[in-house]
Amino acid sequence: MSALRRLGRVGASVLALAIALIWVFPVYWMINSSFLPNTKLTASSPTFLPFGGSLTNFKLVLSQGNFGAALKMSLFITLITVFCTLLFAFLAALAISRYRFKGRKSFVLAVLFIQMLPAEGLFLAQYSMIRSMNLLNTVMGVSIIYIAAVVPFTVWMLRGFVAGIPADLEEAAMVDGLSRTGAFFRITFPLLAPGLVASGVYAFLQAWNEFTVALVLLQGETKTLPLWLRGFIQQSSQHEIDWGQVMAASTLVAVPVIVFFVLVQGRMTSGLVAGAVKG
Amino acid sequence: MMKGLMGVKKTTGLAALAAIAALTLAGCGTPEENAGTGGGKGGAAGAGDTELTLWLAGGDTGDDLRDYLKSEFEKENKGWTLKIETIDWGDLVTKLNTAMPDAKNTPDVVEVGNTQSPTFTNVGAFLDISDMYEELGGDDLLQSFVEVGEVDGKNYTLPYYFGSRYMFYRVDVWQEAGLEVPNTLDEFNTAVVTLTEKNPRAIKDFSGLFLGGADWRNGISWVFANGGDLAKQEDGAWVSTLSDPNTIKGLKQLQIIQQKASMAPVDAKDQSPWLYINDTDEASEEDSSVTSTSLSAATIMAPGWAHWSIGDPVIGEDGQPERNPDGVIIREWNPAKFGVFALPGNDGKPAPVFAGGSNIGISAKSQHPEQAKSLMKIIFSDEYQQMLGGAGLGPANSQFVDSLGTDEFAKALIDSALNSKLTPAAPGWAAVEASGNLEEFFGKIAQGGDVEELAREYDQKITPLLQG
Amino acid sequence: MKTKTPARDAGRVDAGRVGAGRGPGRGGPGRRGFAWTPYVLIAPAVAILALALAYPVGWQLVTSFKEFGLAQQFGQPAEFNGLDNYIKIVTTGETWMVVVRSVVFCLVNAFLTVAIGTGLATLMNTIAKPIRLTLQICLLLAWAMPVVAVMTVWNWLFDWNHGTINWFAIQLGADQYWHHNWLEKPLSFYAVATIIIVWMSVPFVAFSVYAGLTQVSGEVLEAAQIDGANGWQRFTRIVVPLIRPVLMIVLLLQIIWDLRVFTQIRMLQDRGSFPSQTDLLGTYIYREGVGANHFGMAAAMSVFVLIITIIAAWPYVRSLMKQEAI
Repeated sequence: MSALRRLGRVGASVLALAIALIWVFPVYWMINSSFLPNTKLTASSPTFLPFGGSLTNFKLVLSQGNFGAALKMSLFITLITVFCTLLFAFLAALAISRYRFKGRKSFVLAVLFIQMLPAEGLFLAQYSMIRSMNLLNTVMGVSIIYIAAVVPFTVWMLRGFVAGIPADLEEAAMVDGLSRTGAFFRITFPLLAPGLVASGVYAFLQAWNEFTVALVLLQGETKTLPLWLRGFIQQSSQHEIDWGQVMAASTLVAVPVIVFFVLVQGRMTSGLVAGAVKG
Repeated sequence: MMKGLMGVKKTTGLAALAAIAALTLAGCGTPEENAGTGGGKGGAAGAGDTELTLWLAGGDTGDDLRDYLKSEFEKENKGWTLKIETIDWGDLVTKLNTAMPDAKNTPDVVEVGNTQSPTFTNVGAFLDISDMYEELGGDDLLQSFVEVGEVDGKNYTLPYYFGSRYMFYRVDVWQEAGLEVPNTLDEFNTAVVTLTEKNPRAIKDFSGLFLGGADWRNGISWVFANGGDLAKQEDGAWVSTLSDPNTIKGLKQLQIIQQKASMAPVDAKDQSPWLYINDTDEASEEDSSVTSTSLSAATIMAPGWAHWSIGDPVIGEDGQPERNPDGVIIREWNPAKFGVFALPGNDGKPAPVFAGGSNIGISAKSQHPEQAKSLMKIIFSDEYQQMLGGAGLGPANSQFVDSLGTDEFAKALIDSALNSKLTPAAPGWAAVEASGNLEEFFGKIAQGGDVEELAREYDQKITPLLQG
Repeated sequence: MKTKTPARDAGRVDAGRVGAGRGPGRGGPGRRGFAWTPYVLIAPAVAILALALAYPVGWQLVTSFKEFGLAQQFGQPAEFNGLDNYIKIVTTGETWMVVVRSVVFCLVNAFLTVAIGTGLATLMNTIAKPIRLTLQICLLLAWAMPVVAVMTVWNWLFDWNHGTINWFAIQLGADQYWHHNWLEKPLSFYAVATIIIVWMSVPFVAFSVYAGLTQVSGEVLEAAQIDGANGWQRFTRIVVPLIRPVLMIVLLLQIIWDLRVFTQIRMLQDRGSFPSQTDLLGTYIYREGVGANHFGMAAAMSVFVLIITIIAAWPYVRSLMKQEAI
């Protein structure tokens, strides 16, 4: 019986590794290809290891277009979006999970239905709105739209965390002599951190990847990274698509996200594990 | 207990408010300014009102041309600067839709694709420049392009440059199959089928002519060559004419080619056909052995500038192909392997092919029409027209076609452009292109569908779209 | 990753509360004075939503009753045409085909994603830590990929000419995959789209469900095992009911997201296929409305899609509300 069980365990492990491989393959493929020259990539059999590869693609990619400016733009937009979203959503989550108030249910439903809005036809109105606010081509203009797009889901995600922290804990801390604010920041806030990290990751991904709104609200040559990447691909496909360079460009766009993920990884997995569920 | 709880909540609420205030002031406020300098600013307004904005589509206008425009413009308009912004082709329509109606943010001078021009001129996006028509070249300007920029006899956009499509072929492969460059369309149609059947190098999935199934921009050459067209104006209304007998005749020839000579996917659009005519990976193996070749087409049809992508890679000292500053592999044309000719018609003249290229005009909402007109004069000046030709772009003014040079590319370009045609100047043409109907129609013909039946079906779909 | 974080403890407590049926909130009506705190707390969220969405959504609603094309965008007066746009949508056969396709596609994708995600979560729960971490990191990496990069890589993997998938198939002896065009036939196109979307969405589901699973107490399962329940029975009779709230919410989100999928389909269509055979609601709105410059029509379609989504999701939302999961 126990031998059988051990066999099952080994089987599960092998299966898990195989699945891990499937999920990571496209990521690996992107990174691998970014080191290889195009001639290798268009050869009849694929090259699986970047031996003999070089950084040429990266150098070439970075020498074109305004990668630096786009990176800066993307970073600003993303950070503002993450920061404002977390704050707004946290407060709203606090309200709906700790209070019963008139309009609470409508608010929760509105937040849900907003996620169902198809965004494909909104860009004309978004443009004229942002223009009338004088925010075209600015980080703020794009961020406003992004925050509004991300807040609804984040409210959902955070309310689970907030509901999970018993208010009595703060009480207890206050009995022990902490001030009210002190109790909040020493007791409640640390418990929320994983939830904030998990929601932050979501907001980060959305803002980092968004494309259409940025295209419309950023005129001229002001670009975010996804715009830069698409522009790069379009330019490349006018001639012979240089897959190596396209992959290098894609890698460059993905790297900041991966770095961010690695930085918050520990907290995030535990955060996701603890809170995403509360919905 | 309850009282205490309430107190905590109030505190968090207030703390939150304070935090928001701080955030809006500090967090959200400052980076914007930082990014403003990093990201640059679009649109014409702002930056003192002495800046003119020119939008160019894609990267076809090279740096030396741009520098020339800037320096000339700034010479002619003291105290003014010219800002040139590049808009990717795929984003152009979206950006024009939003920015052009907006006086504060519109670019002043705008390049649009020739087939996109009617859509925008018909809704009044461009300034009437009929008064400049003679001065900018008059009847010497490429007339098919002038027409797509015209509404009710007034000129709104004028040709910027033209390109044309001609055939690139593998001289060596055609010779191995014992074939010569055809003189008529019928000969050509037969030749590419024969080539495919002979397949002299026994290449798997070999195409005598590689033509994407949904690639209607090349496919319509057969329609035009047989006297057909895509649409015509009848009593003021536009009608799709796919069922016209001449159109059908061309489409049937095309179907035979698709079925017997081209192995391209039936849903392939303009998918860089030059990939299939090069020996791409002959240089790829490090032990210099040639294990396989990606050569799989003996003939392709492509815009003239494709010749920069065709040829043998120039191998540098490190054994790797050399690249230009854009990172594109530099290829050397090898006349023993490659050749070009204009698609012949059946009347001794080249077949009318679809002319690529673009138009240029002044935004109706431009706040600086005088300066914009001055820029137009520079663009249509003799010097600039010659520079366009020198860069391989067909100059708008036909007096300067000589500037394209006398090599075989220039000859094929001029030959094919001589007779070239444009898509209908219907107000809704951009809608027709966006709908994807033409890709599907041509793709289904390539699949082997019934031509007459398909033509009827798609006429019904396209006619309502044409009106705009 | 620490095995016991404060957050997880907090989660336990919360699960207990929800399980005990205690709804949120202890303030509210009946207290003396007007409880303004919750309104202050939701104010910033409401403000940003109103700021960013009120005008565009209102504009969309109004425009959906107008004849609004490019000419109107360039300043000509837009005339109200009543329900014309809506009538046209409802009477066009293609719309309903697209609706049916989208709903089927969305359900298949959502259920597949949740099923695979749940499977992976269960798997994570049974394997040793180093392997679990490896799997989790791989999932995270996949999740971290920007969508444009994802589509570029997958487009290339499925490329008919140089695609790695075809190469693999040929290595396995399936020679007919030489130059096989995966995007040409609609079914095969949707299969490719499904693979990509499921691949992209599974990590989120897997982590969420895994979170739920970690809260299922081992003792209960052991007790069940002693009572003779086999693995499958334990899973369906004990685990699933316990993580039901998670599953339902994750499924609802997937359905909402998959019904409006746009970028992936659009970027696949850029590479191949005939759009009219492969359109889903997102690309259909875009092509028939925005692409053709029929903005009034596009607005009406968006409203139409919103209504369909709400109708489809309503019973589900209601049952969630009853369970106090909302």
